[in-house]
Amino acid sequence: MARDTKVIGEAISRIDGLLKVTGGANYSTDFPVKNVAYGFIVKSSNAAASIKDIDTTAAEKSPGVIAVLTYKNAPKVAGSGNLSGGVILQEPKVDFYGQHVAVVVADTYEQARYAAELVKVNYEPLPAMVDFDAHKGEAVEPQRGRGSKRGDFDAAFVAAEHKVDQTYLTPVYHHQPLEPHSTIAVWEGSKLTLYNASQVVNGVQNAIAAVFGLKPADVHVVTPHVGGGFGSKGSAWPHVVLAAMAAKLVNRPVKLALTRQNMFNSVGLRQRNVQHVRLAASADGKLTAIGHDTTTHTAVTGEFIEQCGHLSSMMYDAPNASIGYRVLPMNVIIPTFTRAPGESTGSFATESAIDELAYELKMDPIEFRLKNFSMTDPSNGRPFSSRATAEALKKGAEMIGWTKRKMQPRSIRNGDFLIGYGVAIGSYPSRQVPSSTLVKLKRAGNDVTATIETAASDLGTGTYTIVAQTAAETLGLPMDKVEVKIGDSEFPPAAGSVGSIGAASFCNSVSETCIQAKNELQAKTGRTWVAPPTVAQLMEAANLNEYQTRVDARPSAEAQKYSSHAFNANFSEVWVNAYTGAVRVPRHVAVTGAGKIINAKTARSQIIGGCIWGIGMALTEASILDPRWGNFVTRTYNDYHIPANLDVGTIDVAFIPEDDRVVNRLGIKGVGEVGIVGVAASIANAAFNATGKRVRDLPLTPDKLL
Amino acid sequence: MRAFKFTPSSEPEAAVKAVKANSEAKFIAGGTNLIDLMKEGIEGPSELVDISRLNLTQIRSTSTGISIGSLAKNSDTANHPLVRRDFPMLTQAILSGATAQIRNMATNGGNIAQRTRCPYFYEVSVNCNKRRPGSGCSSLEGYNRNHSIFGFSDKCAAVNPSDMSVALAALDASVNVLGADGKTRVIKFNDFHRLPGDTPQRDNNLEHGELITSIEIPKSNFAPHSYYLKVGDRASHSFALVSVAAALELDGGKIKQARIAMGGVAPKPWRAYAAEKFLAGKTPSEENFSAAADSEMKAAIPLEHNGFKIELGKRAIVLALKRAAAGNA
Ligand SMILES: Cc1cc2nc3c(=O)[nH]c(=O)nc-3n(C[C@H](O)[C@H](O)[C@H](O)COP(=O)(O)OP(=O)(O)OC[C@H]3O[C@@H](n4cnc5c(N)ncnc54)[C@H](O)[C@@H]3O)c2cc1C
Repeated sequence: MARDTKVIGEAISRIDGLLKVTGGANYSTDFPVKNVAYGFIVKSSNAAASIKDIDTTAAEKSPGVIAVLTYKNAPKVAGSGNLSGGVILQEPKVDFYGQHVAVVVADTYEQARYAAELVKVNYEPLPAMVDFDAHKGEAVEPQRGRGSKRGDFDAAFVAAEHKVDQTYLTPVYHHQPLEPHSTIAVWEGSKLTLYNASQVVNGVQNAIAAVFGLKPADVHVVTPHVGGGFGSKGSAWPHVVLAAMAAKLVNRPVKLALTRQNMFNSVGLRQRNVQHVRLAASADGKLTAIGHDTTTHTAVTGEFIEQCGHLSSMMYDAPNASIGYRVLPMNVIIPTFTRAPGESTGSFATESAIDELAYELKMDPIEFRLKNFSMTDPSNGRPFSSRATAEALKKGAEMIGWTKRKMQPRSIRNGDFLIGYGVAIGSYPSRQVPSSTLVKLKRAGNDVTATIETAASDLGTGTYTIVAQTAAETLGLPMDKVEVKIGDSEFPPAAGSVGSIGAASFCNSVSETCIQAKNELQAKTGRTWVAPPTVAQLMEAANLNEYQTRVDARPSAEAQKYSSHAFNANFSEVWVNAYTGAVRVPRHVAVTGAGKIINAKTARSQIIGGCIWGIGMALTEASILDPRWGNFVTRTYNDYHIPANLDVGTIDVAFIPEDDRVVNRLGIKGVGEVGIVGVAASIANAAFNATGKRVRDLPLTPDKLL
Repeated sequence: MRAFKFTPSSEPEAAVKAVKANSEAKFIAGGTNLIDLMKEGIEGPSELVDISRLNLTQIRSTSTGISIGSLAKNSDTANHPLVRRDFPMLTQAILSGATAQIRNMATNGGNIAQRTRCPYFYEVSVNCNKRRPGSGCSSLEGYNRNHSIFGFSDKCAAVNPSDMSVALAALDASVNVLGADGKTRVIKFNDFHRLPGDTPQRDNNLEHGELITSIEIPKSNFAPHSYYLKVGDRASHSFALVSVAAALELDGGKIKQARIAMGGVAPKPWRAYAAEKFLAGKTPSEENFSAAADSEMKAAIPLEHNGFKIELGKRAIVLALKRAAAGNA
């Protein structure tokens, strides 16, 4: 590893990589816990029902079974803990297909899984709302209305010369991270340890504490390595509570892992959205009105909606806008945060409609976009702290070779393939949230090592690495002298790896803590230094071999006066088989202005990951609900098609350098979500350019392009 | 998963005997299909007779063509020089399926005996005549986008998922089996899989305990002009929406004979006899391919969600024939 200490911004491989590829990294169920029993969940085969009885006799007699947890013997909980999906096993009632109705606990996983088949649930079915398309007309205003208006949309739309008035459909998507959700629950008296895959360490800690009426300090969450989450591991889900309840019931640690199939109705989803977009422009290509009305669904037990119209409200500076939402409560598991919630699905609608309007105006879609954005956020009147839309469009156009594109669809053909080019822009809000860090310094002679402790999480995204880089550079130490300890609620409370807040919150906190350590040490030396001293010199002068300090970092007040987003531009080259309608994306270009990039390699990987999911949204992914029962008929990786290697061509990633000291001290905007935003629209726009067929209903499977 | 007895075997006869003796026993080869079905509670054999070590892995030429051992791995079969040279369409078909890892485990016998991927077959909480005979079919009025347009019945519309079988059907293969009485018999490939009729629980015509020992493909002149086209919802690692195995024997600018089989459209690999007949003696032109495709697809009957397969099937036949005619140099 480089001995260099100027490491911020470098392309550095993940420091936890070796541990992972050699099997040394413990994911939640990997922890060796003595005397552990195994839980397996029994799921409801009804979307709405009251449970008349549960017969567990056969299951209890099955070899190895220790107990069966049902509503009959589950402990009453102290509070809701704002658990996603509601608290469960408190009453004999089912609100969605796949709701957990029992947990079989046995000596081995296989015994528990087999006995789960023997649990007989006697349901009294109730009317269930499961057919969204048939009932979307009954959707109502959300309880927390998130619509907004500016100017007079209706008048402007009616008066306009050029318009688009279209509806865009996106299906239900599932996160399906590689590591299914899993928990080991261990009670010691009234203290609970949870080895639990979580994006937000303190979030799970607080939620579970509230459910069991414990002090948060009595719930210890351990999650050093998380195998992806994309939002589904952002909140505490009922299975975490069930693991703890089961452990209490059998008086043994219990390990509870969801199966891949379970994942489709246990840990949220991205809901189906019907987006009605109306755009209007003057003949010279100036947008005059933007209307974006989303109809979607939530659970009967609680409300969650994606802000699909958010991007429409802030991206283009049309004087008139109307953003609205309607929501249908359904007997389907509650939706939750899913990579770029709102922006990813919303941008498909907005950016498809922009492309349609550019065609209507006979304008180049890049030129049209350049003409219609400003450096002020039209949704709130605040200046953008920085915005790289124009630079990204320009650079991306060069990279893809935009001059090859012909406006006229079906202009380029190569053998059996129709070739087209598309563009779409996107953004995702940038935020820093409170996050605390403890730095511990140890000195032996001239050799100083630092340990950083913070309850952050690493989903495979590179948290360990960027924290080490930040600490190393700030303390002037080589990276191998920095140990990073995260993923544990014993460490100072931290932001979660959600909402693209991670890097900004962790790194600013780490950097402030390291600066404070140096300042405090310097004060202790009582000296003024001509040349900036090393940490070793400071500790020596202060006669210290050990030193530690903690900072609870907060976002600045100044940042609140601005609107801060990462902005991107996507360009796709698409080949459509003229016979079969199969779409391939041999090349996708993503150019992003995301402020300071801490690690060029892990940031690039985040953008590539976003693009791949964008390809999935555009071409392959959809969860299909059977409206007779409310179950998903797509229930494995076999039928829920995440893109395979062959679906993903070359993805070229570039960043626009930005020095934005308003968004936060280090100028970090975050790259976790922006990468997916606009990708599906870019591909769909390219498919239109290739074929002349406008598909407004994702995914673009071959049947839709015949 | 139900607990089961594991019975290793080293001789085909012993394996057959063991399965025959227990009506709830099954052979296990690569296990890539059967184990999944057991984990999901769809199959619950009380005994697994392991045939993976049987000496039935040879791939060799015979006086009449090629013989492929039932326990040869899918990867080894696809990449065998004889197969690549004489039956490149079989190579293409095998390699279009699953993933490299699965093909390294999967055997040829297991591939042609693999079960349907109908989601209702897999969802044990709903009715399925294949899984629970007589309970009813959930797909006919359900989500049937990937179901049959040919050969289905009012009991079942599931499609056979095997890609390899589509090529074997087009190549007029036959299946050698060893029966419980120690006798062997030959099943012509088109008689191997069954249409559902009133007994959708039976996918093929193997009797309980019958062991597939090898698959034979007769010599032919199709190698230079054959093509396997698979259209799926993603570029790899998905089952076919529609696939076409197309092979032409050309003679003096005319089609001497054509062989066409389709996957993803029927409960068994679907030989497009009407299209084959139409093409005999014609010139290999896109117009003729298109007319041939029409002649086949006009008999298709769509369900609620799979009507697109008729148009897609037509186009896939045309493209596969076009690529076959162009040759695979
Ligand atoms: C993720 C995934 C994706 C896949 N995608 C595709 C695809 O795209 N296309 C495709 O064609 N296939 C696909 N497959 C299926 C795969 O090809 C089969 O699982 C495989 O060929 C089965 O072979 P096996 O040896 O593992 O069979 P096993 O699972 O061992 O057996 C399957 C069945 O065949 C019986 N059997 C096995 N050998 C014999 C024999 N010699 N005599 C009599 N009966 C026998 C068994 O009793 C069992 O009922 C996929 C599978 C998976 C898991």
